[in-house]
Amino acid sequence: MSASHAITADDAARLARVAELRRRRPVNRYLRVSLVLCGVLGVVAWIAGDLFPRFLFDEASRRNVARFLGELRPEPLQGEPWDWGVFAQWVRETLVHTRGLGDAWRTFNLAVLAIVLAGTFAALVAPLGARTLATRDPLSDAPDTAGWRWLRRVVRLGFVLLRALPEYVLAFLLMAMLPSSAWPAVLALAMHNAGILGRLHSETLENLPAGPLRSLRQAGATRAQLAFAAGFPLALGRLLLYVFYRYETCVREATVLGILGIRTLGYSIQDARSKLYYDEMLLLILLSVVLVLAADAASVFVRRWLRRA
Amino acid sequence: MAPDANGARRLRGGAPGRRAAVLLGLVVLALLALAVLDTPASGLVPSASGVEVAKRFLGTALRPALDYQEAHPDFEPFLWKVAKGAWRTVLLAAGGMSLALVFGAVLGVFSSDAWWEDRGGRGARRAARGSVQAALRLVIALMRSVHELLWAVLFLAAFGLTPFAAALAIAIPYGGTLAKVFAEMVDEEPRAAAHALRAMGASRASEYVLGLVPGAMSNVIAYAFYRFECSLRSAAVMGFFGIPTLGYDLQLAWNDLAYREVWTYVYAMTALVLLFEAWSAGLRKRFVA
Repeated sequence: MSASHAITADDAARLARVAELRRRRPVNRYLRVSLVLCGVLGVVAWIAGDLFPRFLFDEASRRNVARFLGELRPEPLQGEPWDWGVFAQWVRETLVHTRGLGDAWRTFNLAVLAIVLAGTFAALVAPLGARTLATRDPLSDAPDTAGWRWLRRVVRLGFVLLRALPEYVLAFLLMAMLPSSAWPAVLALAMHNAGILGRLHSETLENLPAGPLRSLRQAGATRAQLAFAAGFPLALGRLLLYVFYRYETCVREATVLGILGIRTLGYSIQDARSKLYYDEMLLLILLSVVLVLAADAASVFVRRWLRRA
Repeated sequence: MAPDANGARRLRGGAPGRRAAVLLGLVVLALLALAVLDTPASGLVPSASGVEVAKRFLGTALRPALDYQEAHPDFEPFLWKVAKGAWRTVLLAAGGMSLALVFGAVLGVFSSDAWWEDRGGRGARRAARGSVQAALRLVIALMRSVHELLWAVLFLAAFGLTPFAAALAIAIPYGGTLAKVFAEMVDEEPRAAAHALRAMGASRASEYVLGLVPGAMSNVIAYAFYRFECSLRSAAVMGFFGIPTLGYDLQLAWNDLAYREVWTYVYAMTALVLLFEAWSAGLRKRFVA
């Protein structure tokens, strides 16, 4: 028995080989430092950020949580046995008097309008940020002039600034400046997504196969013709995929912008919360789930339909 | 020439007819939306008071405050306060992400096809496995489809105004997204190594952990970093609900009409996001093939 466990010279050589391989494996210092920093941040967050829910050990808070959970049950059914008929009746009445369905419809429309505006902006402006098109001599390796370089930089910086601020903050700021309508929400969503789509679309344009564009250029096409008559149709498939990908996010965000006072689903959710009608609040949140899942499904369906052809 | 032609076909992403139809459909839907929504042309023109606010706010864009606009002896130094707001934003984002990673890792493993891959066995057991996986996927979809601010509305009502409620509100939708993406990444890994381990008699767990996870790890880490970047924005916005992050300071300064201070917070938020964007871009460049 013990003989089989004794380390033979053969085993030792094998272990040495393993140690050798381990020493020679590629080590990524950037990754290591990043992971350590993140780990430290995570630990510090729980210690210094006062995150640990100590309050749950407190009797009064526990009672609060329990009461809250009780109030999530539809009001006519509180203290009563569950009855699907009563429940259905309550759902119908709640959706009517909170105008939840109308708000869901507006949320959907708001997301569509915002993403179409953002996509249009990206399609028009992105060529100015593309290394291959916004140069002195498009698609050639000729040295560039400072003017074009700066233009590209400014456009790219514009994209960064547009997407840096969250939609919610943008809408908050716009609401103070514009009269009350749906525009602040539309513009906030459109601006943030214009920054994202603009960057993605200029990268698509840069990565287009150079052959077709170059031969058009040699045939005398202008820069604008290259960008819009050739570049746009070539990059359109990718742009549409990005538009639908961002559209899903837009529906989620459009819901939430209602909290600021614009009539989307978030508005009625916030309204129910401030009245402490937690049962209605939960129903409306579930309605937003249905809306988001439907948007996701539609977007997946269209993307697949586009790809399959 | 041939690779270019293939590339062009791939980039176009489908037949021209379908793309044109989708494009047209989008434009029509957008026009309909203009009719449905309360979007009059007059809504784009600032009102008289709006012009005043816009002028004063936009006019100070290049002069962010470095000190309080109205000094007060009891206040802590302004820039210290900004730094503290930024630090709290990072902490909340990190706290939310640390929970989200746990949710994402656990749910990601147990919702992936690779984990439930059919290894034979009795019919009843196989059916049970299928329904467990479907149930987990449903949970993940529910977690993802409620926005973090709506989770915050729920948890603030349940737990009161506590950092834990905000962290949990970030952690649930982010955890759902991470779970979905992690599962997809693992499922896209080639299975050869895992099957070799199975042939040697490895358990389901060691087959998964040793055969599949290492290959997917670089993509998983890169994606987790990207989500960390997003969680910073979410954490800042939580401030609007009263959690002391940059959003909270920004809202108070706005209500005090201290527009130069607002800009300082806007720039602080932008700088924070750009810093983490550069960090995670650096990681992707060095790490993901």
